[in-house]
Amino acid sequence: MKRTHFEKLRGSFSPVAVTVSVIFFLYCSISLYLIPLLALNSFKTKSDLINNTIGMIRSFTLDSYRTIIVEDDFLRYMFNSVFLTMAALTSLLLVSSLCAYGLSRYRFKGRNFLRIYFLLGMMFPIQLGILPIFIIIRNIGLTNNFLGMILIYTANLSLPVFIFSNFFSALPTALYESAVIEGAGELTIFFRIMVPISKPVFATVGILNFVMIWNDFYMPLVFLTRKEVRTLTLGIYRYMNNFLVNWHLVFAAVTLALIPILIMFMLFSRFLISGLTAGAVKE
Amino acid sequence: MSRLNRKSYLGFIAPGFVIYTIFMILPLFTAVYYSFFKWSGLGPKIFIGFENYRNLFFDERLSGIFWNALGNNFKFVVVILTIIMPVQLFIAYWVDIKIFGYQFHRTIIFLPYVISSTIVGFLAMLVFNPNIGIINIFLKNIGLGAYRSAWFGDPDKAFSLLAIVISWQGIAAGMFIFLANLKGISQNLLEAALIDGAGRWLRFRYIMLPALKPALINNIILGTIWGLTQFDIPFVVGGTQGGINNSIDFMNLFFYRYAFGGSYYGETSMGFGATISVVLFLIILAVAILQISFLTRKFEKDGSEGKHL
Repeated sequence: MKRTHFEKLRGSFSPVAVTVSVIFFLYCSISLYLIPLLALNSFKTKSDLINNTIGMIRSFTLDSYRTIIVEDDFLRYMFNSVFLTMAALTSLLLVSSLCAYGLSRYRFKGRNFLRIYFLLGMMFPIQLGILPIFIIIRNIGLTNNFLGMILIYTANLSLPVFIFSNFFSALPTALYESAVIEGAGELTIFFRIMVPISKPVFATVGILNFVMIWNDFYMPLVFLTRKEVRTLTLGIYRYMNNFLVNWHLVFAAVTLALIPILIMFMLFSRFLISGLTAGAVKE
Repeated sequence: MSRLNRKSYLGFIAPGFVIYTIFMILPLFTAVYYSFFKWSGLGPKIFIGFENYRNLFFDERLSGIFWNALGNNFKFVVVILTIIMPVQLFIAYWVDIKIFGYQFHRTIIFLPYVISSTIVGFLAMLVFNPNIGIINIFLKNIGLGAYRSAWFGDPDKAFSLLAIVISWQGIAAGMFIFLANLKGISQNLLEAALIDGAGRWLRFRYIMLPALKPALINNIILGTIWGLTQFDIPFVVGGTQGGINNSIDFMNLFFYRYAFGGSYYGETSMGFGATISVVLFLIILAVAILQISFLTRKFEKDGSEGKHL
């Protein structure tokens, strides 16, 4: 028993602590009931489902999956989400890490102003400017186009720039200077030295933004109206819009949509947490 | 050689600067320009000065919707700051002292955070739908059918239910910020206080709470922005109109209806939509300035006491 853990250990098994733990278990049981229920219901027939929303499966069927995949184009929505998220993420990571590196590594006039300038987006969510953004995107002909979405997601770079900057600023200058003496060019230094040593930061920024872009509903709702470019969140929303007719389909759609994000969650929640707290607690 | 190339920082910063400026910063200001026009989004823009603003604040029908939506946003901010945030701190406190099952609690409380708002909205329907929702079925099955309710269909209940659903999804973010801050607090100090006979509450109040200043400032600001920019879940659960009697209408929904949904006397009005977003921007700006100046001053005072503990 380490002495420094005295306080923690002492606190953990008092009657109050046990009561709190029980309350937390009850609260957690909501999620642990609802999420498997979604999957369970996706295998029920439509009529079974309506009379038997909370019971076990009486008649197993894959009809709902068949309907959304064969009759509708659900795999297409899934592919769209994967493609859009990956492309936007690549662009965001590249642009924001370069930007943060430029801000941290070089001393120049106006640097402090720029650092604050890039922080503004944390205060004012990008949704506030959606109307002018919509007009710009329409004028350059990029509605219903993933390129437009990639630009918008890339513009939302305040937090990534902030997290990257904190990391790059903390690197010893010697690292950079020795590379310069070796005769390496600026871009070579960035891609050969800086990127490899900042892998954890890339993971942190990447996972956090993966979740945000993958789950985004507002931007696709405004910019992606055609069926060919519909993302998962929009696809699900469309079924829900007429949910009395599509009640059984939503369960299948939601179950499919949850699989990738739950895998991400299980593998990478550590990075997600560090992204959520990055910069929030610094003294 | 490259050392002499002093301008290379420009090449690094330029792509981000251009995209960020065009799609993030300039729109906040060009919205002001559009707000002076009557414009459906297509066809000619007609300059009408401050008429959109006058309509927003004084038109009988529109101003009612505006104040209701804004009121809901502020009500939600109050709920976040007075209920959700203390709960986040409460959870963080017990996870930090490693109560029984803390890793499990931490993981499962975090889980809904990665689930998209459309799915969370669907779960809300699954639970609260008056006809086929879990709660009403359950109440009927255990003989409490009299307590069945329309839930989101009842304007008196919709707002509270919405707050529950939204916090179920998002509670973990602030909790982790508190948790990260709590981890940094000196165990030796807490032990010394324990040996001196300070109980749980005293240790929390006089050692932990003063040290939580960075997390508190962060969560107050992030929570306020969270409350003022709600869109997804109210939209999915209550539709574009913001639920029955606009009980879960918010500024962003109001904006969406008028800018993209054709609610302005039957037509899409980009001009009026821009007006709503400009007003929301100014409100967020004002609240942010107030909070930052107030919080930094208040905590500077408290902080100077804390240092001499």
